[in-house]
Amino acid sequence: MSINNIAASLTQAEIGLAQYCLAFAGQAGAQKVRITLTKSLMNLIGLLNGEVDKTAHALDRSMQLQLFVDGRYGSFSTNKLEKEELEAFIREAIDTVKMLQADAYRDLPAPERVAADARTGRELGLYDPAYDTLTAEQRREMALASCHWPSGAIAEEGEYSDTVFDTLTIDSQGLYARHTETSFEIGYETTVEDAQGNHFSSYWWDAAPLLQDLKWKDCAAIAYKRAMAQMGPQDIEGGKYTVVVDTECASKLLTPVLNALGGFSLQQKNSFLVDSLGKQLFPEQLTILDQPRTPGETGCRLFDSEGVATREMPIIEKGVVKTYFLNTYIASKMSMAPTVEDSTRVKVLPVGGCKKLEDLLAKVGNGILVTGFNGGNSNPVTGNFSYGIEGFLVRDGKKVHPVRELLITGNFLQLWNNLLATADDARPCLSKHIPSLAFTNVDISA
Amino acid sequence: MINNKAYYFNHFQVDTPVLERLVQEALASGGSYCDLFFENTTYGSLLLRDGAVTSGGNHIDYGVGVRVLSGEKTGYAYSESTAWEDMLACARAASQIASAPVDVSPYGTRNPSRGEPNPAADRYPILQPWRGTPLSTFLPFLQKLEQTVRQKDTRVVKVFANLAFQVTDVLMYNSSRELKWDTRPMGSISLTAVFQQNGQSENKSTSRSFRQGAEMLTDALIEEMATDLVHGIDDRFAARRPKGGCMPVVMGAGASGILLHEAMGHAFEADFNRKGTSIFADKMGQQICPRGIQIIDDGTLTGNRGSLNFDDEGIPGQKTYMVEDGVLTSYLHDRISAAHYGVRPTGNGRRESFRYAPIPRMRATYMESGNAKAADLIAEVQKGIFVDQFSNGEVQIGEGDFTFYVKSGYLIENGRLTQPVKDINIIGNGPEALAQIRGVADDLAVDPGAWTCGKEQSVPVSCGIPTVLIDGLTVGGE
Repeated sequence: MSINNIAASLTQAEIGLAQYCLAFAGQAGAQKVRITLTKSLMNLIGLLNGEVDKTAHALDRSMQLQLFVDGRYGSFSTNKLEKEELEAFIREAIDTVKMLQADAYRDLPAPERVAADARTGRELGLYDPAYDTLTAEQRREMALASCHWPSGAIAEEGEYSDTVFDTLTIDSQGLYARHTETSFEIGYETTVEDAQGNHFSSYWWDAAPLLQDLKWKDCAAIAYKRAMAQMGPQDIEGGKYTVVVDTECASKLLTPVLNALGGFSLQQKNSFLVDSLGKQLFPEQLTILDQPRTPGETGCRLFDSEGVATREMPIIEKGVVKTYFLNTYIASKMSMAPTVEDSTRVKVLPVGGCKKLEDLLAKVGNGILVTGFNGGNSNPVTGNFSYGIEGFLVRDGKKVHPVRELLITGNFLQLWNNLLATADDARPCLSKHIPSLAFTNVDISA
Repeated sequence: MINNKAYYFNHFQVDTPVLERLVQEALASGGSYCDLFFENTTYGSLLLRDGAVTSGGNHIDYGVGVRVLSGEKTGYAYSESTAWEDMLACARAASQIASAPVDVSPYGTRNPSRGEPNPAADRYPILQPWRGTPLSTFLPFLQKLEQTVRQKDTRVVKVFANLAFQVTDVLMYNSSRELKWDTRPMGSISLTAVFQQNGQSENKSTSRSFRQGAEMLTDALIEEMATDLVHGIDDRFAARRPKGGCMPVVMGAGASGILLHEAMGHAFEADFNRKGTSIFADKMGQQICPRGIQIIDDGTLTGNRGSLNFDDEGIPGQKTYMVEDGVLTSYLHDRISAAHYGVRPTGNGRRESFRYAPIPRMRATYMESGNAKAADLIAEVQKGIFVDQFSNGEVQIGEGDFTFYVKSGYLIENGRLTQPVKDINIIGNGPEALAQIRGVADDLAVDPGAWTCGKEQSVPVSCGIPTVLIDGLTVGGE
């Protein structure tokens, strides 16, 4: 069989094997079992300076088993999916679980909480049938046609890839939840050189569940344009600035907040948002939603890793913390009602009426536009952060010159309470729908 | 650990004729070189939280990667099965890169190394195997580790400890008929505690990771890690953000080796230079830092997290001087870049797993000791900062701008350590920072932590450095 003709999605035989393993684990001594079967098929074409530099073809399958045995719990996985090997693997796994210490908080989610509307995997419309007829030659032609490779560049590296991802989660209480999606991606990084031999590089990318929505034609040209714009950086003085963070990198400032609302961090007291539920800790103008069930939207899912049905809900509403992310285990430990394991498709509602980044810059007037982060981290307990940044000095609402080797330092609660306004420019390819953000009174070291 | 050849052939259900036939199939459409990378990895983990080891498991990853090179172009495919039909399909997918033979061949095609691995030269012998030892054997280690932490500091409110091990069998064969094999162990322990004092919370983490068997789980290691974890927590509570700006930075011995990893190590990886993107692309043979400085990438340290008997292209692990007496003398090469530059590979062709084609990667990167004393370097600084604990770093290869995140350190005022500081990012430019090294102490330490490098793929590395003084880096602050 040619590897190009292997079934991209889970087959009935593979699903049947998972169901067999579920029953086998029960017979072998596990009181409760959850199995997640995943399969992905990826084609990749790497490009260097206008030519194909690399091709890759990848098929992955794996089975993950969560076993609940005599009040104990263990997690196991293997990609050796032969029936006899799986039987031996499960027997050994059950013996291993019996050696661990008991944990009364472990359990499967209650059956009424799990998704009942994810039977085919294609309910959200994230599978593109065009994938099934896409040929190797078409992929190659599209990849080559996407190259820009201008004469002024030192190097232009690109990558086109398409993937089918299929996952099925079943458990011993009757859960059957499947998610199937295709993903088409293209990305470029271009390096240019100035007259003094200094290098400047930048990137651009796009992704979409449906091939027809992939904006592949302009990607390389945008990366080149962004790299050229980096030329001629100038030093600025450190101090307090109004800072605009481009939508492209804005998740850097929201992800730690979402992590701090995660059950594991909260239960371990390793979060700056301990005891925050129901409290107004953020500005009244800030509302953040989780919208995991919008058909056709990148990142949407009908169920989490436990099979629990996702739902549309506010995370922060008018500045008030409205939810923690609690799986069955952590919720039980915290004596709280479970929610979902994590956020899925986050959306920050626009603030201030600006549509585009340019509108937001005009509103800000003077400050710094951040177009990329360079390293840095945050303290999960205190919420203090420090990141390297690059971008542009902004005067009278216009970009004046590039800036780099700068550091932004602060505390997440203080930062978000200094939210001035946002644009409404989040790109659909981003799984977190965060627009460009403007904050006042931000410490910049230079 | 190096077992006998039959062990690997049995495990992957292949023999030399099968390997040769697969290589020939992969080159049937053309191409200049093909290699096969078989891998069988067993992972195990145990997790302690809330005072009990209540979670654990095993994981298996198995497969073979087939790479076909057509000059410097790569075709790659992999299979999770080593049945002949699956491997054949994989070889044909990889062969799609090649349409005709080309002149440029990767290193080794004209002067192959066909010697078998030598068990006597093993850099990570396993005294107590991870595989086959029941997980329950390791529970007391984690329990005692937690107890020891709590005994050392009553402000501890949470302890989270994770023991993870992996053992990887690899078998490598290529179109030059080079056949190599290896079994690579790795044991890692991460330990985090949350402390509370007067209504304030702080966390602190430490880790240890070695290419060793389960013999590494000793009482001495428990004492060392627990002591390390609680050490300096008073200063952590007292620490403040400094005033930011450009200032002299003294980097403490050991983990400060992240400076070398980010500021120059990545820029010396030859793929970036071959493509012309690295800021060091035209600096070979030039003075890039003060005389007397040696910077090394080393795959030969016994039991070190970054060490390798062979890299993932079958090239022997070795010690590579990147900078000698301040002069750039070598990039870090895989077979492709070595052929491009007309030099021998340096044993840096590494990959995360059979799912990835190898690329140049670091191993254990460090600077040799100098002649100064650490205390004297600190005494030289009127107003600056001393840093010694880090969490992560990053670099922009083209521009050379690097950063690393400092978990803790101290202000230096009039030559003395004063106010503790924490949670600051430091940023600099690689060539500028190297040129601004003003002093190197005589106290080289290679950090024992679980460093992982994430350039396209994740691979285990380590880093080290003696105490060094750099004239000016930008420090984040208020």
